[in-house]
Amino acid sequence: MELINSIFDFIFGPDPELRQIIAVTLRMSFFSTLISALLGIPLGVLLGANNFKSKPFVSRLVNTLLGLPPVVAGLVVFLLLSRSGPFGTFKLLYTVNAMVIAQVLLITPFVIAMTANLVGVNAASINETLAGIGITGMKRLKYFLIDYRIPFISIILAGFGRSIAEVGAVQMVGGNVQHKTRVMTTAIMMQTNMGRFEFAIALGIVLLLVSFLINSIVNQFQKAVGDD
Amino acid sequence: MIELNDLIVQAKDRVILDIPSLRLTKNKRYGIIGENGSGKTTLLRVLAGTITPTQGQIKGIKRDETMGYLPQSPYAFSFSVMRNISMAFDHSKLGENQAREMLKSVGMEHLLHSVGNKLSGGEKQRLGLARVLAMPREILLLDEPSSATDIRGTDIVEALLQDWFARSDGTLIFSTHSPAQALRLSDEILFMEKGKVIEQGDPKELFENPQQEETRSFLSHWRL
Repeated sequence: MELINSIFDFIFGPDPELRQIIAVTLRMSFFSTLISALLGIPLGVLLGANNFKSKPFVSRLVNTLLGLPPVVAGLVVFLLLSRSGPFGTFKLLYTVNAMVIAQVLLITPFVIAMTANLVGVNAASINETLAGIGITGMKRLKYFLIDYRIPFISIILAGFGRSIAEVGAVQMVGGNVQHKTRVMTTAIMMQTNMGRFEFAIALGIVLLLVSFLINSIVNQFQKAVGDD
Repeated sequence: MIELNDLIVQAKDRVILDIPSLRLTKNKRYGIIGENGSGKTTLLRVLAGTITPTQGQIKGIKRDETMGYLPQSPYAFSFSVMRNISMAFDHSKLGENQAREMLKSVGMEHLLHSVGNKLSGGEKQRLGLARVLAMPREILLLDEPSSATDIRGTDIVEALLQDWFARSDGTLIFSTHSPAQALRLSDEILFMEKGKVIEQGDPKELFENPQQEETRSFLSHWRL
């Protein structure tokens, strides 16, 4: 009971830190998912809908990147953005933008692979049908995008889920700076390390609630698009 | 004249189409018959340009908007039937009224606002035909256009093709598993077996007096 009370206090209490953490988490997850979807879905359609010589190699490469450990992605982005790195002049390290870049690196291969697998199932039939009415080349892309609009929402949602739950890369490039780059996962890790388990559990519950809320909203949207 | 010369299509090491020479005159209707796996679909795909032959040449066929091709299982997109038809107009000046007319011609006007991928196999086939015929075509390549339709649907498809041919003076090349349909719709029949055109000729003559043993054997299975 004490635990529940302290969780409520923490969530609805006067301290703005949690709301700040939620805002940073949502901002980072939203932009990283958006960029990954904008890059990954068209690339996934191109990969899944076409047969080209290097397709097996590209597929293998994407699948390899699927298994990229978040800390490795974090390390790469860290080295690129650090003061002595090639993009050091932009001073992005320990900012939300750096966290978004690391997340994009992690989520885009996931979106590409999921999209390519999805589209690949009916690609031959769609291509043949479109060719039959004179729609070939890049013009096909539009029809794949419209036809798969509903399952694409699920892929985007899965990408968002990955983004909001990730901890290794964002810790490395974001630095878990209070009021600046602290997100739910890095805060949970920090509180656990400090032995403040109530605080950590409260954050975990909030993370699940936020995730549930977003899933519910997107599912409603998905239903509306499906009924359209 | 559509000419095919020394045409070979290989799938891995197996030859699935082998046509040394074939001449198809324009403004005629050709029915392709033969057993499963005889090469009918491959021939239509090569003509449509959806597969590239391993070797050989095809002359006299333009792969542009003047050619329409209907695959055996046309894809119906997950948007309205209306939009499924009008997508053929995206690059032309024709509009939605024509799409409505096309749907009417395949007996599917009542399904105007249904979702394409929720249709039955036969409805998808009729939708596919309506979509292909929605634009003016000079050459029509149809892979078993009524394989999934019921007898009423088959009647609609055949009437539509007869009407199209009468109006357009185009070239119709279609495959079918029904010798009776080939007889009804063709000016000339091609009998295929094992990737080769075994016999080509007038439907009545070919059915009554087949010259090749393979054709005789195939037609011996035909019952009313």
